[in-house]
Amino acid sequence: MTGYILRRVGGAFLVLLVLTVVVYAFFYLAPGDPARLACGQRCNPQQIAQVREQLALDDPVHVQYWHFLQGLVAGHDYSTGTGVLHCDAPCFGLSYRNDQQVTELITQRVPVTASLAFGAMALWLLLGVGTGLLAALRRGGVTERVLTAVTLAGTATPVFIIGLLLLMVFCAQLQWLPFPTYVPLAEDPEQWAWNMLLPWTALALIESAKYARMTRSSVLETLAEDHIRTFRAYGVGERALVGRHALRGALPPVIALTAIDLGTMFGNAVLTETLFGLPGLGQLLVQSVRVIDLPVIVGVVLVTGAAVVLANIVADILYAVTDRRVALT
Amino acid sequence: MRQLPLISRRVAAAAVGVVLVAGAAACGPEGNSGDAKSGGAGGKPQKGGTLTVLNSQPQEDFDPARLYTSGGGNVPSLVFRTLTTRNRENGEAGAKVVPDLATDLGKPSKNATVWTYTLKEGLTYEDGTKITSADIKYGIERSFAAELSGGAPYLRDWLVGGEDYEGPYKGGKGLDSIETPDDRTIVFHLKKPEGEFPYLATQTQFAPVPKAKDKGTKYEEHPVSSGPYKVVQNTGDGERLVLERNPHWSEKTDKERHAYPDRIDVKSGLDSAVINQRLSTGSGADAAAVTTDTNLGPAELAQVGSDKELAGRVGTGHFGYTNYLAFNPKVKPFDNPKVRQAIAYAVNRTSVVNAAGGSSLAEPATTYLPNQKSFGHTPYDHFPAGRTGNPEKAKELLKQAGYDDGLTITLTHSTAKDFETSPEIASAIQDGLKKAGITVRLQGLEDNDYKEKVHSVKDEPGLFLAHWGADWPSGGPFLAPIFDGRQIVKDGYNFNSAQLDEKSVNDEIDAINKLTDLDAAAKRWGALDKKIGEQALTVPLFHPVYKRVFGKDVKNVVISDWTGVLDISQVAVK
Repeated sequence: MTGYILRRVGGAFLVLLVLTVVVYAFFYLAPGDPARLACGQRCNPQQIAQVREQLALDDPVHVQYWHFLQGLVAGHDYSTGTGVLHCDAPCFGLSYRNDQQVTELITQRVPVTASLAFGAMALWLLLGVGTGLLAALRRGGVTERVLTAVTLAGTATPVFIIGLLLLMVFCAQLQWLPFPTYVPLAEDPEQWAWNMLLPWTALALIESAKYARMTRSSVLETLAEDHIRTFRAYGVGERALVGRHALRGALPPVIALTAIDLGTMFGNAVLTETLFGLPGLGQLLVQSVRVIDLPVIVGVVLVTGAAVVLANIVADILYAVTDRRVALT
Repeated sequence: MRQLPLISRRVAAAAVGVVLVAGAAACGPEGNSGDAKSGGAGGKPQKGGTLTVLNSQPQEDFDPARLYTSGGGNVPSLVFRTLTTRNRENGEAGAKVVPDLATDLGKPSKNATVWTYTLKEGLTYEDGTKITSADIKYGIERSFAAELSGGAPYLRDWLVGGEDYEGPYKGGKGLDSIETPDDRTIVFHLKKPEGEFPYLATQTQFAPVPKAKDKGTKYEEHPVSSGPYKVVQNTGDGERLVLERNPHWSEKTDKERHAYPDRIDVKSGLDSAVINQRLSTGSGADAAAVTTDTNLGPAELAQVGSDKELAGRVGTGHFGYTNYLAFNPKVKPFDNPKVRQAIAYAVNRTSVVNAAGGSSLAEPATTYLPNQKSFGHTPYDHFPAGRTGNPEKAKELLKQAGYDDGLTITLTHSTAKDFETSPEIASAIQDGLKKAGITVRLQGLEDNDYKEKVHSVKDEPGLFLAHWGADWPSGGPFLAPIFDGRQIVKDGYNFNSAQLDEKSVNDEIDAINKLTDLDAAAKRWGALDKKIGEQALTVPLFHPVYKRVFGKDVKNVVISDWTGVLDISQVAVK
């Protein structure tokens, strides 16, 4: 297992390295001059040249990329005009637009996206697994049909529609909940949860559908197995059968999928964060792409990429731990 | 040029807007008149409370050197005082320039090449230290540094030695054309007469910056306030900005700002549909909330039309701004004036206005200058297309130009959903021109690509959608960057898209710039606009209108013709 993990981690670094190369390549192939954008609307050629020099955009691409890698390993010193700013390793560089450290920008936003992802995950597991289980136990009945319809509707509706409907109903009409504003967990846990409730619900409604379907089919599959029939013959109660055996059988794929979804959630939070005004990584990425801010784009892509890669490794490990039939070598 | 805040940023928002009004969007916004020019909740405005600002765009830059906002901006003007400022009054009166840190609008030399300002007495920063003329000089000098680029270009173009100056960070050299003979006097030496210098002195680059507190690119994290509020929180790259009272600000030296609320809480990064919903609902803190960058969309205006209470909370304003069709006369067939005139006749402005959100959000334009007195607006319509175009006249002109069987042209536009240079506007142009036998091929470019191409002398397309906004409410910053031949930028961002370099036009611009009587100058700008219009180098399409909703508890709403939006410095929430 240790060897497997080490190999996967090594592979993950390679994937992330390739990711940075791809982002750099796209950046230099895409239209738009970051120096012009950073310089402002009406700059003369001399000024644009000064800004280009200041952003080190004059260097050949491979030199710029090499400096980026150096910064990741050893940090970097930058001029602020009045002094020198040291950017500690892993240094993603300074934002082209306002010279703020990318690490700082990302660090400010990771808790927001993490709050969104983990909270939503807890809710979608609760909803998804619960619904799936119920649907399996009421197979063929009205309950199952209703649950299937509701979960399908959830999957089919985009987050900005569900999110806005939730805002309309619970914030605007009923006024039970505040329009979400991100409050850091450490500052006020109650307000944090209260304000995140709607974004969590919006995401959970969408994600829980596939968990419901997966749980339902896994539970049904397990309940149809020979050993369950044997247990039944021995007089083991339904509750024990479902709790101890059927659910356990359904767990490995659910856990693996959760890990992967959690990872991708870091990269897919754009619409949810924008709609609910949550200053997370998704919003940062959108803003940076708009102004062609390469250091921030690379930083966010690396962090979200790392989350996805890590989630995949964790998913594989959890699968092996929860399902003894799987061996990791 | 100040950017027009986006009417709607996301397809999602637009879609949701439609959902919100459940089909009412089809009616469009025509006929809505929920104006609240000086409205808000009743009662005398009082000090206290927290004003919330809900915005879509974060305040990414908060360094006075970097900001490029007409009249010093809305939120920035609460922290940065400048030599002069905009008059904080409703409508036309608000387009006037008035003293701020200075005692008057400045004393020009006889030919307006030297401007002298005296600072008021008793001016202090947030830490109680005295504001001196040297601080204003330093604030201007640092705006030349490449590290702090982004501001308006005028100082570089107007000040003697400005074109080569690289700011104080390289070698610590100052700019000799700004003199500070004593703590309260500052003198500017200009390359040529500039009668509108008092307008330029409203830009945030004229805010004082104490040299000892300058941290270069890090200064924006906590700029030292000279205004009624100081920054207590600036996080998430301007997503959240919290301002509190500056105890050392005195209203005795500041007649323009009221500073009623104790605290101003700016929350950004919100979806435009959500902002409008929150302001409309106005629950909790949102009752005392406003927006400085989010317009009501057509769908939301339909909702306003059926709700009297809500209609009373919608402010209407006009910012000097023109959306137009731009020609590159160096590209065939647009080198032929008759072709340009034919297109001007063929345009269906009603379709264009509808594509921009309807008549509540856009007013059809036939002049380049915005239709406000301060710009020197002089009505003209050289190629009358009527409300829906004049295809017959257009066909006749095309025949004269040698295109008896019609014409096929390409219109370049941005793919950004900004309702300015967007596909919707381009399609409306395409439909109008079709009736005149002009087949329009649409070329939609990604927004950054679009900007690069249309502002490049080398790559400029023959016909494209363009827009221009006021740096201050006068004809000068409107006409000179677009039609002054000496402002053609060959390797940078060029805005003179017609690449017009005509001696008579250049000379008239110089002659008007000499005038220090701003009313007299306005008349001449209007006349110049009318004269240039004859050449059909642009086809003015529409001037945008701002419609913005504010919270139930917001009082003392002031909307001037300078900004076109509610002025935060006047708002009270108690």
